[in-house]
Amino acid sequence: MTTTVPDSARATSRPDYAALIEPSRVHGSLYTDPRVFADELERIWYRSWVFVGHESEVPESGDYVRKSIGPQDIIMTRGRDGDVHLVFNRCAHRGNLVCEDARGNANAFRCPYHGWTYRNTGELLGYPYNKGYGGKGNLDLSLGRVPRVDSYRGFVFASLAEDGPTLAEHLGAAAGEIDRLARLSPEGRIDLGAGWLQHRTRANWKLLAENETDGYHPQFVHSSIFSVTGSPIGPLYSDNSTAVTRDLGNGHSENDLRPEFRRHGETLRWFGTSESRVPNYVARMREAYGEAAEDILVEGAPHVMIFPNLFIAEIQVFVIQPLSVDECVQHSTAVQLGGAEELNSRMVSQSIGSVGPAGMLLADDTEMYERNQRGLEMRQPEWLDIRRGMHREALDEDGYRTGAATDETGIRGFWTHYRRLMEVDT
Amino acid sequence: MSERDSNTGDAHDVTPYAPGAGTVRVDDSGGGIVGNEFAEVGVAVDHSGNGPRLRLEDYRTGRVRNLDALELETIIWLPEERLTQLLDPSTTRWREEPDR
Repeated sequence: MTTTVPDSARATSRPDYAALIEPSRVHGSLYTDPRVFADELERIWYRSWVFVGHESEVPESGDYVRKSIGPQDIIMTRGRDGDVHLVFNRCAHRGNLVCEDARGNANAFRCPYHGWTYRNTGELLGYPYNKGYGGKGNLDLSLGRVPRVDSYRGFVFASLAEDGPTLAEHLGAAAGEIDRLARLSPEGRIDLGAGWLQHRTRANWKLLAENETDGYHPQFVHSSIFSVTGSPIGPLYSDNSTAVTRDLGNGHSENDLRPEFRRHGETLRWFGTSESRVPNYVARMREAYGEAAEDILVEGAPHVMIFPNLFIAEIQVFVIQPLSVDECVQHSTAVQLGGAEELNSRMVSQSIGSVGPAGMLLADDTEMYERNQRGLEMRQPEWLDIRRGMHREALDEDGYRTGAATDETGIRGFWTHYRRLMEVDT
Repeated sequence: MSERDSNTGDAHDVTPYAPGAGTVRVDDSGGGIVGNEFAEVGVAVDHSGNGPRLRLEDYRTGRVRNLDALELETIIWLPEERLTQLLDPSTTRWREEPDR
């Protein structure tokens, strides 16, 4: 017997997002209610554009890597056609995982359960002992294919919805931040093939997404790494800083540090180094970009959170993977730039120092995320305050809402977009 | 034409795994393992005969096949759809009919 939930009951069982998300505060249950998480999977993770991986992770025909869209296990492959394909890691026979390794090279996959084989683009190639199916080629089955796949400068995004906004529409102004990263390569090429670290985090994914462009916390949470390394980054996030926090629309936001770096006017200050230490890189940049190289080398890399899961933090990239209402995985890797060997080895070292097993940056943030999740379980007060800097926001020349370096402008932009997506009925 | 004939023809020149049987002179310059989570095959150029041949060994079963230059060239020229047919498990290894 099949039972169905009456429409009226279904409607009332959904949280009222308009009542939970206000311009200056959001309700704590948004981080702790499993119903909210279930809604997010359907309305955000399985519908909106989500970052999956980078084309440089599968450079050769037959290369594959295991990726994710939230809790979904996705295989990203490079087919013989040269294109990047995304398929679900689930055998069409009995649902077993087809791939186990994190990466490898295979033009065809073989399910370990009953030996069914698939082309790495998802096509079923065959099954053992075919008489049980009346012969060869009698099954109209394949690996599940992701409905929409698109990429921007090698960043591969997926949407599990058949239709909706294009990737270009979704990225909007955030695409320009990816451009800013790419132009730090004399070849204009980003490579994310250095390998990924994974940190399991007992916190709701939104705490991470909000924190990525929160310029209020670094002076407190990251004071130890700033003091140990003598980093000039700390003062960028203070009341005296000329850096700004920008709501880029569609839930994307950035800490734009360029005003500070322009004020100092020193090339590579953003990277904490000087030209004499990376002479070949600087020479190649000047050769490639001419006079424009000065601005590029002064302004540095972007610090941008691309909704809902891609965080480009200057020299490294983070991917947020939610698993449940109070658990997620942070994937992180060092940015590598084509033709920038001197920079690349330093970016790997710096990434290990900040997000590696004994790194000092991600561990600090994660401590806050997990404490935050625990704190949110307390019954009072029910709300989180996100009003910081509302009174001093302005629209910049491009029409984007901009606040001071330590303001919660990015967080408010996140919630505006979130509410728009969550209020849609499926 | 039977299903089997249309795909692989007879399985010839396949010797069962026999450790220590005969001397295999393996070229140590170009050999190695081509492996992934689905299969592991040892690859080496064998010089024990009058001319070189490629020695392939399925490490999961010990089964060995030697391929000469002409056979290798033939594989290179195999149409994509023929290779795809060979990857259907019921074409070769997992079929109801016994080997002839």
